[in-house]
Amino acid sequence: MMSSGTRSRKNQQALSLQGVDPETCMIVFKTHWAQVVKILEKHDPLKNTQAKYGAIPPDEASTVQNYVEHMLFLLIEEQGKDASMGPILEFVVTENIMEKLFLWSLRREFTDETKIEQLKMYEMLVTQSHQPLLHHKPILKPLMMLLSSCSGTATPDVEVELVVLLNQLCSIIAKDPSILELFFHTSEDQGAANFLIFSLLIPFIHREGTVGQQARDALLFIMALSAENNVVANHIVENTYFCPVLATGLSGLYSSLPTKLEEKGEEWHCLLEDDWLLSPALVQFMNSLEFCNAVIQVAHPLIRNQLVNYIYNGFLVPVMAPALHKVTVEEVMTTTAYLDLFLRSVSEPALLKIFLHFILLHQHENIHILDTLTSRINTPFRLCVVSLALFRTLIGLHCEDVMLQLVLRYLIPCNHMMLSQRWAVRERDCYSVSAAKLLALTPVCCSTGITLTLENQAKDYILWTKATHSAGSCTSPSESTCIVEYGRAVDISYLQYLWEAQATILQCMKDCRVWSAPYDGEAPDPDTFIQTLAEENTKNLEQPMFRLQQRSSSNCSSSQMTPMGEKMQLELEWDDSYDTGISPGSNVSSPQAYDDLGSGEAQPPAEPPKHIQEMKKNAVMLIKGSYVEESDFQDDVMIYRLCAQKDAQDNDSSKEETLNTTRESNKTVQSLPSDNGPLTKPQSDGDLEEHNKKNSSLTHDVTKEKPNQETAEVHPRPNLELKLSSQEVDHNSDIRLLSPDSEDFIIQYDKIIKELNSNTTGLEEEQKLVSFEPLSPAEEEEDFENFSADTPSAESIPSPFGAKEDASSKHYSRSQNVPFTGPFISVVLSKLENMLENSLHVNLLLIGIITQLASYPQPLLRSFLLNTNMVFQPSVRSLYQVLASVKNKIERFASSERDFPGLLMQAQQYLLFRVDMSDMAVESLTKGNIQHNSGMGKGRNLSEASQAVFQPFLGHKAKKATALPGIPMHVRNAILAAALFPEFLKELAALAQEHSILCYKILGEFEDC
Amino acid sequence: MNPFWSMSTSSARKRPEADEKTLTGELRTSPPRTSTKKQLPSIPKNTVPVTKPASPAPSSQSTNGTHASYGPFYLEYSLLAELKNYLICSTLVVKQKLPGVYVQPSYRSALMWFGVIFIRHGLYQDGVFKFTVYIPDNYPDGDCPRLVFDLPVFHPLVDPLSGELDVKRAFAKWRRNHNHIWQVLMYARRVFYKIDTTSPLNPEAAVLYEKDIQLFKSKVVDSVKLCSSHLFDQPKIEDPYAIIFSPWNPAIHDEAREKMLTQKKKSEDQHCKSMHVSGLSWVKPGSVQPFSKEEKMMPT
Repeated sequence: MMSSGTRSRKNQQALSLQGVDPETCMIVFKTHWAQVVKILEKHDPLKNTQAKYGAIPPDEASTVQNYVEHMLFLLIEEQGKDASMGPILEFVVTENIMEKLFLWSLRREFTDETKIEQLKMYEMLVTQSHQPLLHHKPILKPLMMLLSSCSGTATPDVEVELVVLLNQLCSIIAKDPSILELFFHTSEDQGAANFLIFSLLIPFIHREGTVGQQARDALLFIMALSAENNVVANHIVENTYFCPVLATGLSGLYSSLPTKLEEKGEEWHCLLEDDWLLSPALVQFMNSLEFCNAVIQVAHPLIRNQLVNYIYNGFLVPVMAPALHKVTVEEVMTTTAYLDLFLRSVSEPALLKIFLHFILLHQHENIHILDTLTSRINTPFRLCVVSLALFRTLIGLHCEDVMLQLVLRYLIPCNHMMLSQRWAVRERDCYSVSAAKLLALTPVCCSTGITLTLENQAKDYILWTKATHSAGSCTSPSESTCIVEYGRAVDISYLQYLWEAQATILQCMKDCRVWSAPYDGEAPDPDTFIQTLAEENTKNLEQPMFRLQQRSSSNCSSSQMTPMGEKMQLELEWDDSYDTGISPGSNVSSPQAYDDLGSGEAQPPAEPPKHIQEMKKNAVMLIKGSYVEESDFQDDVMIYRLCAQKDAQDNDSSKEETLNTTRESNKTVQSLPSDNGPLTKPQSDGDLEEHNKKNSSLTHDVTKEKPNQETAEVHPRPNLELKLSSQEVDHNSDIRLLSPDSEDFIIQYDKIIKELNSNTTGLEEEQKLVSFEPLSPAEEEEDFENFSADTPSAESIPSPFGAKEDASSKHYSRSQNVPFTGPFISVVLSKLENMLENSLHVNLLLIGIITQLASYPQPLLRSFLLNTNMVFQPSVRSLYQVLASVKNKIERFASSERDFPGLLMQAQQYLLFRVDMSDMAVESLTKGNIQHNSGMGKGRNLSEASQAVFQPFLGHKAKKATALPGIPMHVRNAILAAALFPEFLKELAALAQEHSILCYKILGEFEDC
Repeated sequence: MNPFWSMSTSSARKRPEADEKTLTGELRTSPPRTSTKKQLPSIPKNTVPVTKPASPAPSSQSTNGTHASYGPFYLEYSLLAELKNYLICSTLVVKQKLPGVYVQPSYRSALMWFGVIFIRHGLYQDGVFKFTVYIPDNYPDGDCPRLVFDLPVFHPLVDPLSGELDVKRAFAKWRRNHNHIWQVLMYARRVFYKIDTTSPLNPEAAVLYEKDIQLFKSKVVDSVKLCSSHLFDQPKIEDPYAIIFSPWNPAIHDEAREKMLTQKKKSEDQHCKSMHVSGLSWVKPGSVQPFSKEEKMMPT
């Protein structure tokens, strides 16, 4: 009835009452009302004893309806004069018309239809009226009665109207906060101090579709209002369930998310918008999360804090934490992808903070979430890729807390470098020495093949000119000649890298201005770091130091209880990094240390937590084939095998690697002696397959002696170690003598570089002196003494943090003497070392993560990653060493692969194709101004591919092409890695160069970013 | 706030310093540039000129890639670092070691820097001397840079014909890591305040300084006047980034000056604003513990 009336009214409105005498309107209104009153009174039980409930003839009802419609129309159209009410409104208020009408509708059957009518009527009144109506209690009161009658048992139809009306009311309140008071007071009349319109909205918070959206919008109006109104904020926090409903609703919605994601193809590594829009459950969750974000953005701090607490304790801890530790790899992977998506979606610092707090500090079953996530990077499954993507997100936040926990805390004590090197932390590389060294790692075999610049670049040249000044003639303008041979092309794509490096570093510097410390080797102070940490430790329970304590103690106990061989044999090598914590012996990523340790190496990793064991079991089953393998996992299994084998060979090959490098160098330099004495036991050639063969045969031999063949095959390493250990002792002694050869190595490299680039980059003697001088032999020896004294007896050293009676500062410093750059760095570097076995997208992610890390301006991080002159402790594996090792692998691979140049060409073409594909998608969005304006800058390069392809929301575009069809998996991976590697080096070199000129803070420096 | 920035990068012509009273003209850079950024000219955009090759380059497609030499990049960045060093020295960061000295690399080559030096007191007071710094190709492993004044200033250490300053006496051997171009600039400034007459390039000046200081002074005054009278001359070396002076033109310069004076405040405002926008940290200063700031916010 009413709805039809509404429609007809709209037509009438078109007619408009303009020009009609207000007096006339008033008279019409009064007559209508008189007619209505007549009918109302006839049925009023108080006035007419014969009136019966519900027995209202339809014609009378519709008569009333018609009159009311006309009256409302007149009321809406009435223009108030100045601040005073118009006569009609005044009449409505004095006669209490609205309440009478509401009672009338109650007297009739109060059906859903009636409710909808009334709701619509009010909606129309409040939205269309020319005068403010809600200030008048006789109008507000029946409205509140109507609203409260709608709470609870409403049907969907009523809900739709109810939410529309509430939304309108909230927007009116937002515009005119004075009304808010009235709403509160009116609510009190109802007997409860509740903020009715707010409470009515709460049940719709998580609703899907328009209703939910309108309700959330309405709530946001109130939230924004609360920011300036303590009463409202207090009320919401103390008297409503807003925050708990919101937070626990997330948990509810999360539980209905799919636990497995449908297969997305090879490249899939994170949830993009395209992905999650397809899943209604996820859309609903994301809507609610977005709403939380919005609330936190606008609401009063009280509400914000309460909500954040509820989300932490009601969603993250009870729901996300267990979900991240589910039994199957699939489920865990899905959860990780969700977590990554959430992190990328949340923008409010306060909300982000609890997510990060959860990841960094929360312990699930005594293990920090962060550790668990880190350990998963080394898994053979898709989980690795998803975890890497999560870390990329984390590092990209430029958040001090994240970087502190992930990397910096391990670098602050500065014991990853030689004591004498500390001064160099803040040193700038004025002459691009590090960049030169990095670029010199480009394998010779990779310089063939197509250019990695696109065609349009080929036309641009850079001419370096020099100024000559003919002495004596000050007046003659200097001539310009080329330093570079005239017209010779310089790698223009490198300019692009420089340009990008500058942009990323500047952005990062800008973001890091809010950080609490410069992390430059002085602040925080390396010497008091441990004490500071310990002091803070006592204050706070959720302390990372606890983690260390736990870890190291568990290390010790397990090593004491379990003979190493047996234990390891039963378990797959699951994770290199998991326990690399404090225990030096388990630091797999630093093979030198490993070798040096001798008996120390017998120390097994700590007992992994249950969930990891579970996953291990899965992995074992997968490898053994007793698991129903999903076809996609096949690849992973392959990789896994390679990893396992590689691990085994790492032990003997890592030494050789250094030597191999030396040999390579020898070849190049042709002047150094090629005889390296007893240590030169290099594999006849660096062939990878050869390597593997040899390796597996070794494994085979060993396994014959061992009962448990199957596992041994999967993880040959411990056996190998057992067998080789006696041999190794010999080696070790030699190695130790040679171990400072990291310097020999560097010196040789310097020489090579000098000879290759003698004109511009040669290192002056002096420079060498500067870098090596500080390593006085005495100090060196001391370092080694410490090292060897500490490590073999690692088991017997009481856990430095566990034993209170020993908690002297001496112990602290001692424990910190064990150089360790943190689990994250070591796992990432060890993964990088396997570059040739990694799939393309793993490598792209790794490269992305490392370049992100290298963009940080903090001297500690910069010097660790990019300063190639730095002398680190022998047990610390630096990025440069890892890259050198990759270079050797590539060269070995190149020499073994007959058609290497052809394959490389194909790989490069494929990578360029990927760039093109992503370019098409990105072009309009991200590129443009910078590059197209800069004249030369149209070049695309490969690493841009990584960035472009990883741009959220664009991931699908590039996956249409299959990578190098018809080439066996392992060759494909290796060749793609070989094609990527030189570009990666350029990216790092560019970062190193840009750091050298950007590291000063000059006022106004950041203005244009 | 270093005036060098504004000077070198703004298309508008500006006075380098508001208090440079002796100066009726002011510095400007010749080509108006679109960039209004206050920033070191960035490598790809400005310092490295991009030109089409005059002759077709030999098989560009294949000579590219890793065969390409990166040497020029290293040199370029080393010089940029030097420039940065100079900027550090000339700003308040280190108590302005180089007041009144301004340099800017040429457009054509990073190995040639144009400069101007303002002498504010002493014998050479009111002197405005333009100069050019020539950096050897094999920098930083070569000889020390040369500094040549556009006009031969009357000074014991300045060659009366070529205008070259005797830099070598201060940097007998140029040592990388130890010697920097800003030191040359500092030296160039100092010679005008602390006059050294041993083994002079201009014996006349040296002798006069020792024997007849009055005559020396008057010769210096003449020299200073001569330099000032040639201030508005076209630059000796044609280069888009050459330093050019022009008479004060209110239409152009008033606005630019106003901008310079207000810029500082504005940038401070921006600074404050952007602090809230980006960057995340909940670490209490002095702490090494994540989320140590704002305890009341801690969810537990």
